[in-house]
Amino acid sequence: MSIVLVGVNHKTAPVEMRELLAFSEEACTEGLRLLVDGEVVREGLIVSTCNRVEVVAATTTEKMQEGTERISDFLSVSRNLPRDFFYDHVYNRTEEDAVRHLFRVTSSLDSMVVGEPQVLGQVRRAYSLALEAGTAGRVLNRLVHHAFHVAKRVRTETGIAANAVSISYMAVELGKKIFNTLKGHSVLLIGGGEMAELSARHLINAGAEGVLIANRTVETAERLAAEFNGTAISLNDLPDYLAEADIVICSTGAEDYVVTEALARKALEERRNRPAFFIDISVPRNVDPAIGELPNMFVFDIDDLEAVVTSNIREREKEAERAELIVESEIMQFQQALRALDFGPTIGALRQKLQDIARLELARQKNRLGQLTPEQERAVEALLLSTVNKISHPVLSQMRRSYEASDIETIQAWRDIFGLEE
Amino acid sequence: MRSLLLAVLAAYIVAAIHAILAFVNKRKALHRISLWSLAAGFALHTAALLADWIIDGHYPLFYRRETLSFLAWTLAATYGLVLFRYGTQALGAFILPPISVLVFIAAIIQSDSNTAVSASGFSTTWLFPVHTTLVIFAYAAFFVVFLASSMYLFQERALKLKTFGAAFHRLPSLTTVNEIATSAAAIGLTMLTVGIATGMMWSASRDGHIWRNDPKEIFAALTWLLYLLLIIYRSTAGWRGRRAAWLGVAGFALVLCTFFGARLMGGYHVFG
Repeated sequence: MSIVLVGVNHKTAPVEMRELLAFSEEACTEGLRLLVDGEVVREGLIVSTCNRVEVVAATTTEKMQEGTERISDFLSVSRNLPRDFFYDHVYNRTEEDAVRHLFRVTSSLDSMVVGEPQVLGQVRRAYSLALEAGTAGRVLNRLVHHAFHVAKRVRTETGIAANAVSISYMAVELGKKIFNTLKGHSVLLIGGGEMAELSARHLINAGAEGVLIANRTVETAERLAAEFNGTAISLNDLPDYLAEADIVICSTGAEDYVVTEALARKALEERRNRPAFFIDISVPRNVDPAIGELPNMFVFDIDDLEAVVTSNIREREKEAERAELIVESEIMQFQQALRALDFGPTIGALRQKLQDIARLELARQKNRLGQLTPEQERAVEALLLSTVNKISHPVLSQMRRSYEASDIETIQAWRDIFGLEE
Repeated sequence: MRSLLLAVLAAYIVAAIHAILAFVNKRKALHRISLWSLAAGFALHTAALLADWIIDGHYPLFYRRETLSFLAWTLAATYGLVLFRYGTQALGAFILPPISVLVFIAAIIQSDSNTAVSASGFSTTWLFPVHTTLVIFAYAAFFVVFLASSMYLFQERALKLKTFGAAFHRLPSLTTVNEIATSAAAIGLTMLTVGIATGMMWSASRDGHIWRNDPKEIFAALTWLLYLLLIIYRSTAGWRGRRAAWLGVAGFALVLCTFFGARLMGGYHVFG
């Protein structure tokens, strides 16, 4: 058996094309039943996300080329697009290359932001859709589980997902670095805007408790307070509340400092020197940078955050190189396992071969046996065959057992003993 | 018990190397190996100390070799406690190498039982071993304060300068190292207080002198004062963070003076 893969991703195709090729979940199960014919394409799986559409299939090694063709046709028919439309943007991968591609996708090495965790869940979902459609069999089961295993190894053995690579997530990372856990730590959101709100949401998801919202417009403050289950306060009351917050996210359109050094000094005193940090994503800045000089107060403006994010991305790319090595070593293991999966038919062939030997010997010795009645002839044949079967049965069933357990080493041993190399 | 100590040394070295590798590569498996070999080393070490006690007939904390070995044992125990309480693996990479060095020195020092002072006179009363044990444990606690404070200062600086290197991502959070430093300082101070008190009582019961202006005594008193200040400032919250951490680092310099320096200046506490 061989793996073939046909797909487009964010590097090869623009979003206009990707959205035309994308599959909804229903289209996925439906399409899979159409794609898998049991003849050319034995098993199938479709991973469709906003950044990629990948069709993975299992075919016999002889029909690999046909399989790729069939997938391209399938894409054209099911998405109702002429093949020429996406021809230049689609990549075809077979065997090792197809395995490598899926492993890299699942481990988030092929993602727009290397190391992002969503893609693993998306592959998992795609797999359960294929199971639902009944198009994931022995080969794809093995492949997908191996891909999950690779993703897990990459995640735990490299720092590929270690450091935040988005500004909104930096707040969580810094919070954990300073407070160890965000549980029991409060957030003050001054102003609003997409990035500030996203930061606050990340913090709450990570365990932060107690959100204060200060906004110029009362409606916005109340809307955000309802959304984050927090309390709306007036911007004028900021001096009274600043000391309560461990994490301050500031994003207003103000021309001048909203959090002045004097305010921060007062807060620090009231907080009895407990640490606090400020994330200032407003331009012009709203948090006086001089606050960063105060003990136990940390200030990050948008440039600081961007610099850290850039260095974190570079760090991830370095880790990605280590991840590629893991992927390579796992490809070899998978290819071995795949060869083991081809062993099933070989066992049947071996049984046939042994019986053929018995029949051939009978034919050769027939003349010497003299005239036999048809009954006697059948008895001799039965005798031979049942001897062969009785002797070979335990061996064959043992073989089948190692095949079913996908015990690669033992299968290799069986191949060597009986000279079953293809 | 030299061969046993060599086995201890081997286990500690394995633990130290794996702790460093675990710190660099962030691998849990390496950390586990480090823990297991540390546990094995610690068990052997305990056995070695007990064997010394039984064979030599005095509490194994008197001669230089014994003191170093005992200090290493104390540090290993302290690290175990911190790990159990805070789960800070990163500490291992910094505490296990010095432990190994201490055991190494203890293993190569020739048996020094022929020193002028004999241990026999000191083990007749239980006060002396209590005094030395408590003081050694206090030193170990202060070393942990030193490590945690250094980690605090390093990370605080990185946060202020916004330059996050590889080490920054591998160290425990500011709050954690701050807590470790605070509780280790409190425990260390308690031990030092009782340790000094028992030393005085022992000395008084021996020849009536409580205090003899010995360099080691003076340094110990200074150390005690400094950690008392640290505790007071921390609890009144004025000196949280960087300043307290600096005090934790400076305090350890004083501990080193007490431990090694006093020996160079001579005096009454020439042993240990």
